[in-house]
Amino acid sequence: MSILKEILSSRELLLNLTLREIKGQYKRTVFGQLWSLVNPLASMLVYTIVFAFIIRVQPDPGKPSGLNIFVLWLLCALLPWTFFATVLNKGMASLVTNAGLVQKVYFSRITLPLSTVGSVGFNWLFEMAVLLIVLMLCGAFVLPWIPLLIVQMILLAAFATGLALLLSIANVHFRDTQYFVTILLQIWMYLTPIIYPINLVEAQSGSTGGLLGTNITVLDIYNLNPMVPFVNVFRQLLYDNRWPNPADFLLCVVWSIAALVVGLWVFRRSEKKLAELL
Amino acid sequence: MSEVAVSVENVGKKFRLYHERNQSLKAAIMRRRVSVHEDFWALNDVSFAVPAGTTFGLIGSNGSGKSTLLKCLSKIYYPDRGTITHNGRLAGLLEVGSGFHPELSGRENIFLNGSILGMAKKEVAAKFDEIVEFSGVGQFIDQPVKNYSSGMYVRLGFSIAINVNPDILVVDEVLAVGDTDFQEKCRQKFIDLKTAGKTVILVSHSMGQVREMCDQVAWLNNGDLVAIGDSGPTIDKYLRSLDGVSE
Repeated sequence: MSILKEILSSRELLLNLTLREIKGQYKRTVFGQLWSLVNPLASMLVYTIVFAFIIRVQPDPGKPSGLNIFVLWLLCALLPWTFFATVLNKGMASLVTNAGLVQKVYFSRITLPLSTVGSVGFNWLFEMAVLLIVLMLCGAFVLPWIPLLIVQMILLAAFATGLALLLSIANVHFRDTQYFVTILLQIWMYLTPIIYPINLVEAQSGSTGGLLGTNITVLDIYNLNPMVPFVNVFRQLLYDNRWPNPADFLLCVVWSIAALVVGLWVFRRSEKKLAELL
Repeated sequence: MSEVAVSVENVGKKFRLYHERNQSLKAAIMRRRVSVHEDFWALNDVSFAVPAGTTFGLIGSNGSGKSTLLKCLSKIYYPDRGTITHNGRLAGLLEVGSGFHPELSGRENIFLNGSILGMAKKEVAAKFDEIVEFSGVGQFIDQPVKNYSSGMYVRLGFSIAINVNPDILVVDEVLAVGDTDFQEKCRQKFIDLKTAGKTVILVSHSMGQVREMCDQVAWLNNGDLVAIGDSGPTIDKYLRSLDGVSE
């Protein structure tokens, strides 16, 4: 609990560090904040060409929204994923890149990884707002789902924060972490139903049946991936415009609380030694 | 004025001297250990008390543990033994301008750096003019700090830090920043701090400066406290010991 008090008392510093990231990020660029849209747009373009035109992946139309646009279907999951992956990458590096500061000034250490969550989250909010507008223009009735969407975004942010705290400490001990995480995130993305619908996995899993004579199917193992329920809920809210599946939603809550508690605990234990370890 | 501002009791700080350090996972697994090390006590059973409102100096040769002690005082390191307690707000001034963002303007950096040093936004706003005035950055305040001369950079950093207005200020060899004019201003500032009843703990290799500024000094050697007392006699003792070695 003391850590929450600490975060609360250094909220001004947290805000300032977040603003430093946001303001510094697109300084001296002509397009400024628009750059934050370019990345998702570029990957959107690539995935759409490969998966919608070449491989011809066909996700089910949104129920009950009736949307049947691959690009939007893709973005509903891709934007949360990009946020998640960026928080992990930047949060992990936050302590090492600010080593000089940590070794010279005393301040609440946890503000460093948290401020990266803040600045990445700011970009994400911007992207999601644009997505919402496009969804509405295409006839999706998303307005009533916005409060729940915000809750879900907070859950994902909490999950990402917990992991980023954990990784930031791991990276101080072993610099391998950053290279490992880059690869892990690549694999993780393809193990999550972002660019293909989950029913392709269900079909495969059904035809394979129980593995090695047990009742465990490929799908059961696939569903252990915490990002699966997160992505599902985002699509249910944004693309389908319906109540999220309670089991999926509950899993999101459990995963985010677990990640946050473990992350805070590990960070708390190691923060006093940071100046020496860096 | 017998009130104690900072009390250091039996403080010891241990570092690990690594003979082998496996900071990559592969090495750690292959060698089946993270490190081979022996303990090195950079500070050993150091105790003293700094009375409130006085200026206290730490002297000693390189590697005697002065900076380690300062880092323990400013909560960057945590002592492995003993305790450090202080009454009142403590600010460390170990390096100036750390935490500046080069692309942001001097103005933005003052607010950023102020909050890193623990000032509320209101406090910074109230002191803003004073900080700019003291730094002598003047019209360049709205320029990105990457365009500052190195002198302007440290002067701005120093002005922010000195205006944090702590009850106890911990300073490490940063008094040598800027030109003669600025150093004179700094000296005046430290005199002002003293008249305002603030406590200053400083590390310096310039014995003239220590003699002039400090009421009391502690002499450290290889992590041990050799002597503590009024600045004049203790500095003399220290200098004599150095001569003894060189002769």
